Amino acid sequence: MTPATLSLAPVEQEVTSTEDVVSPDLPWVTIVWNDPVNLMSYVTWVFETYFAYPRAKAEKLMMDVHVKGKAVVANGPRESMERDAEALQGYGLWATFEKDE
Amino acid sequence: MARAFLREETGYVGLLDTTERTVLYGLMQQTRILLSPEIESTGDTFDDLVASMGVSLSADHQEIETGSFAAEADSSVISDRDPALDRLLPTAHRGDDQVAAEFRRLTEEGLRQRKSGNLDIALDCLSGASGNRVVLDEQQAPAFLMALTDVRLLLGERMGMRTEEDAEALHDAMEDIDDDDPLGYAWAWYDFLTWLQETLTHALMGTDLSLGETAYDDDEDEADDDLDDDLLEDDTEDDADGEGAGGAPRGAV
Repeated sequence: MTPATLSLAPVEQEVTSTEDVVSPDLPWVTIVWNDPVNLMSYVTWVFETYFAYPRAKAEKLMMDVHVKGKAVVANGPRESMERDAEALQGYGLWATFEKDE
Repeated sequence: MARAFLREETGYVGLLDTTERTVLYGLMQQTRILLSPEIESTGDTFDDLVASMGVSLSADHQEIETGSFAAEADSSVISDRDPALDRLLPTAHRGDDQVAAEFRRLTEEGLRQRKSGNLDIALDCLSGASGNRVVLDEQQAPAFLMALTDVRLLLGERMGMRTEEDAEALHDAMEDIDDDDPLGYAWAWYDFLTWLQETLTHALMGTDLSLGETAYDDDEDEADDDLDDDLLEDDTEDDADGEGAGGAPRGAV
């Protein structure tokens, strides 16, 4: 084994250079709202089909929509949330996107 | 008497009699017409191209109706827009009309095309039924399911069903509605399509229907309880919401 020459300089440099980069944008969210027409089973199917969420997660989100009136079903950059809202509207769900406050 | 959509070797198979297929076909056609792309050809290829991108340069489209709701301050909305479209193509941002209008401008045409495409597939499946058998393959089944959703959204809107309270009031009103009241007729078909969609959803998800649900039963309270039992194994959360399991129309979110 060759003992390495110990130098802290590059490590320090690395730390300082990443510090400013890690300031993520506030994430946006996609919300699905309760409505009197869409079926509980169908909403679960949509969450499974579109997001590829496992059944347990899809059912939990569906129950949140049903009981609480709405649920955040995804979060991320605005473009992704707009895409999700559009896709979910294609499925007939009442989906909106907004900045997560 | 209809039979549920079930997974068979040939695909997802439902049995619908002539009347059921005819009425569903008509409802899907009406939904298809409503969702057809809004911007008609102008005869000018450049204008058509611009229109297809969801941007209108026409002065007519820049006017905002002063009498309309603030939420509808959408320069692409023409004044005679059918309110049902707000249910089929709802606002995507609550609280910022500008953002909602911009989103609608960019997405509405695409959504109309997608929904129309689903309805076209469903219409083909219905007209292609051999005898009473409506057979859907893996690609057709989700399209048929989404088409049923849009038909039910339209029917629900036409019956004034916008909130859970509306739905429960309608449900209760059906108890003593006149036989010749069109609302009763609409409700009966809405209820039938709700059952039909439930069965296709279960078939796609690979979950079982309970025995009583494979044939359509218009005793809705009974079916209602069965469905709720199926879907809501933990009823406590539901009841905490102040909603009895039997009060809501079958299985709605």
